[in-house]
Amino acid sequence: MKCKRVAVLTVMSAVCVGIQLTPRPPNVEFTSFICFLTGFLFGASFGSLLGALTMFINGFLSPWGFAGIIMPFQMVGMALIGFAGGIYRKLLGEGSSVSKALNFESACLAAFLTLVYDIITNAGYAILFNLEIIIVLIAGVWFSIIHVASNTILFGAAFCRLVKIVGSLAGENL
Amino acid sequence: MKETKRSLIIMALAWITSLFLVSLVGAYYYTEFQKEKSANTAYVNMYNNLLKNYTSLLQSYTKLLNDYNSLAQSYEAERQNLTYWLQQYESCIMRVNICIDYGNGTILWYNQTIVPLGCNLLQATRMVALVNSTYWPAYRASFVDAINGVWNKGAYYWMWYYWDKDSKTWKYGNCGADLYVLSDGETVRWRYEIPNYP
Repeated sequence: MKCKRVAVLTVMSAVCVGIQLTPRPPNVEFTSFICFLTGFLFGASFGSLLGALTMFINGFLSPWGFAGIIMPFQMVGMALIGFAGGIYRKLLGEGSSVSKALNFESACLAAFLTLVYDIITNAGYAILFNLEIIIVLIAGVWFSIIHVASNTILFGAAFCRLVKIVGSLAGENL
Repeated sequence: MKETKRSLIIMALAWITSLFLVSLVGAYYYTEFQKEKSANTAYVNMYNNLLKNYTSLLQSYTKLLNDYNSLAQSYEAERQNLTYWLQQYESCIMRVNICIDYGNGTILWYNQTIVPLGCNLLQATRMVALVNSTYWPAYRASFVDAINGVWNKGAYYWMWYYWDKDSKTWKYGNCGADLYVLSDGETVRWRYEIPNYP
């Protein structure tokens, strides 16, 4: 891997962890966006690793407190998002140019992946408190809607632009 | 993967996501509705119970009020009756103040003692205390031997005084207690003492 890419990857990781640990409104986060972007630019393995690592650190240092048994579920969920970024890049194919149409696709993907992440983490919560998962999902539906909506807007508004910027920093011509 | 197919798959995923969220919102509102419904039923039951209790309480109150009114009427009738009798009674009674001084620091006052008109001191004293007396025919008067179980003993005797309003002093009674007729508002005193009769 080129030095530039390593540097950019390092910066991405630092930004991802830093933003994740910053106090913010509940269920509004940038981690999934950065993990997806990392997976997209540096491959599925890097994306999923960054996602898992960020949620591992978040599990201990989160402003909301220690995550406890939910942490592995958060790690799996975020790793899945990073992995999906890499898979999405592969689906686009080699040499594909980044167009604004991708904003729409990424927004749709963000909605789906955020929902999957919420289902996984809610499953963890249900196991922790010995509850039915559907009950937990219903109880937290407004949090899920905020999460899905914020991520959909973020991906739709910024994905294409950031891919170009970060890609050029990493030495890619997208 | 072709662009159209990929886009379609991604849109389908987004559609599934929105469907899932909408169904969750529906389920959320359904569960909230069920909760509110059961709470509403509970509240209706509570309200009905409360209404029943309130009605019962109101009936009890009404009954109590009727009883009270009836009692108040009876009281008023009785009061009027008593007032009438008191007015009748006032014309044949008087009030006197009687003091019993045991000579050992114990002094008992019987103020505003109601006695019949023309009552003498002995009769009035018998109304407030237990009196033992002996009638002496030679003097045509009674001599008080004991009041409330305190007997004349040695040099100690029960002597009586009347309050002289003019000189504002106690003065010895100058006759037997049964010969002294009291007047309304008069103040008299019995004293257990060694007589110092002038």
